[in-house]
Amino acid sequence: MMGGEAMIPICSYLHLPQCYLAQPGHNQPLPFRPIAAVPPRLLLPLPTVLFSVLLAFLCATGLLACGGTASSSNTLLFGAPISLTGSTATEGRLTLEGYQLWVKEVNAHGGIKVGNTTYQVALKYYDDGSSPTRSAQLTQQLITADKVNFLLGPYGTSATLQDEAIAERYKIPMVEANGAAKAIFSRGFHYIFGVLSPASEYAKVMLEAALSLPNPPKTVAIISANDSFSEEVASAARDFASSHGMEVVYYQTYPSGATDLTGILTALKTSAHGAVPDMLLGSGHESEAVTTMKECKQLNINAKLYAFTVGPATPDFITSLGPDANYVLGSSQWTPQERYQGIDFFGTPANYERIYKQTFGHEPSYQSAESTAAGLAFQYAIQNAGSIDPQKVRDALARLNIMTFYGVIRFDATGANTFKPMATIQIQHGQVATVYPKEVANAQLLYPTPPFSQR
Amino acid sequence: MLIAQVIVNWLLLGCLYAAVALGFSLVWGIMNIVNLAHGAFILVGAYAAYWAFTQLHIDPFLGLPLTMLLLFCLGWLVQYGAINRVIRAPFLVTFLLTFGLDLLIADVVQLLFTSDRRSINTVYSGLGLTVGTLHIPFDRLLAALIAVILTAALSFFLQRTRLGNAILATGMDRDAARLMGIRIDRIYALTFGLGAALAGAAGAMLVELYPFDPSQGGVFTLRAFVIVVLGGLGTPWGALAGGLLFGLAETVVPLLPGIGPGYDDAIAFALMVLVLIFRPRGLLGKAFYA
Repeated sequence: MMGGEAMIPICSYLHLPQCYLAQPGHNQPLPFRPIAAVPPRLLLPLPTVLFSVLLAFLCATGLLACGGTASSSNTLLFGAPISLTGSTATEGRLTLEGYQLWVKEVNAHGGIKVGNTTYQVALKYYDDGSSPTRSAQLTQQLITADKVNFLLGPYGTSATLQDEAIAERYKIPMVEANGAAKAIFSRGFHYIFGVLSPASEYAKVMLEAALSLPNPPKTVAIISANDSFSEEVASAARDFASSHGMEVVYYQTYPSGATDLTGILTALKTSAHGAVPDMLLGSGHESEAVTTMKECKQLNINAKLYAFTVGPATPDFITSLGPDANYVLGSSQWTPQERYQGIDFFGTPANYERIYKQTFGHEPSYQSAESTAAGLAFQYAIQNAGSIDPQKVRDALARLNIMTFYGVIRFDATGANTFKPMATIQIQHGQVATVYPKEVANAQLLYPTPPFSQR
Repeated sequence: MLIAQVIVNWLLLGCLYAAVALGFSLVWGIMNIVNLAHGAFILVGAYAAYWAFTQLHIDPFLGLPLTMLLLFCLGWLVQYGAINRVIRAPFLVTFLLTFGLDLLIADVVQLLFTSDRRSINTVYSGLGLTVGTLHIPFDRLLAALIAVILTAALSFFLQRTRLGNAILATGMDRDAARLMGIRIDRIYALTFGLGAALAGAAGAMLVELYPFDPSQGGVFTLRAFVIVVLGGLGTPWGALAGGLLFGLAETVVPLLPGIGPGYDDAIAFALMVLVLIFRPRGLLGKAFYA
């Protein structure tokens, strides 16, 4: 018993129909203080506990476990922090697979020839846990401790914004494949290049697809996560929709990573003059796209068209929603149906899809394809530069203009690839179909979406 | 009618949040352990329910007792094997231990199930009662009812059964309880097991309603913490009160003109600060645990 505490018979506690916290009317904290009267053998020594926790933490954050091999004289080392855990773990894994496929194929095809030397390629990556600050630390570590030659991008705009500043400081070129916000390219940095089409295209291509219908949707509700990429996409969508005769009846942002969206979906349900808007456009991430669809079903919200900028193109979307994924539109940086004739070893989108499936056992998503394309950009820039000097490779990247399985890779003055179009996909019978633009489409856009009760 | 729908959403979500916080509140109240692994137990419950649904075709609601039993065993083992060894060490040690457990469990879940997002689609998802424009989804209604039943059952168990009283007694005065012949280590293991079982129940209901991935454990630990502070320790009904208050910040406040949902976390935490200033014991707390 601790000193100073009154001994109260246990029965007096038991007869009180009260809390398990404190004796009523008794404001003293309970005598639940540690230490004293403890048989010391019960205690693990504090340093041991601290050490184990630290160890567990290090393992969890991937500091101790990471991929790739060390740089040797004839190996070019590419570094990348990637989100393998956390909110964008799915997209991060697809990014990693894209990089890995490029590394595997480039080595299988003899490596990169620079002058008379042939370099093999190796990838060093860390898990950034979907945290942009962590991503920046890891970028620094890759440059200073691992001495990588070049940097591939992380997953997502927020992380890319952080990492590009580090790349700029150390003057190491970074080709990123998974950050599309204008903000990335508007800071006057010279060492950042992005192979993907800019954010403004994401919603535009889906709205164009909707407007190409014989009886297009008249009202649209736009919901968006509040990160910089999603907001940029959403505001571009609002401008495009209202300037093309679609009425934007609801426009709302929600916290990025929100788990429940019933609040705004309830407001959205009656936003089109008391009715459900014809089209629901979500600008956010895969998890929120899935949540939106699930909750639309729960709340019985039946729009004629659902469209999400990010989500439908990832394989998870179909597996987690099942039949409810059908009819949903998505925008895609790349689809296997597109008809490009590239100069790279993949050549065509169809061939890339085949090799990818052989390697990883599942369909490639655009995240994988654009990540592979980032590797290709480096590969051809290094060859063109005839050097592995970071400055010369940067200059070669700035001049790059190649056609690949992924489409054209060519950077404008800011480093963005504004020369490649995007595509609209639709989930049809549990499969991804390309429905717009017409030249690359392999299926008709199914419209309108039947109500949830009639599927 | 919008207002009615918002109120229904709020009540349903609030009760669900109560289920999220119930086990956390019990463990904190009785054992004075802020169980940072609570979210990990929710995760295990969610994945157990997911696994049972996809492999054995057991509905998450019907399989709830199984999920709870599994989690009870896990919680019992964790308490008996790990936490009991440091229970009398300074607060920080249990804090660190549960933090480590959280990382460990979440990583094991990720190893087993990968980081892909999972979701359950039952045949009745999307069905509901429709009154005019008011729509009450069955699955959410069921989850809310189960949450209230669990709260009431826990309260009954603690107040009216010998074992429950022993738990309360241990929480009030460990040493006196031991003198009365209560086996403290077993009571702790039982309490922690119950806490884990309740977390498992919450997980099984969450996976039915939302897509789930292994990174979400921490989110729910944080929410459980806020809910318990809002509602107050000391009684299971505190978790319900806290859950409803927290749900208010997420469903009703975003619809007020000029605020918007971007601020719901800020509002929830502002509420927490207000409660701490004006009613530090929480809404229903009997006394704030130091």
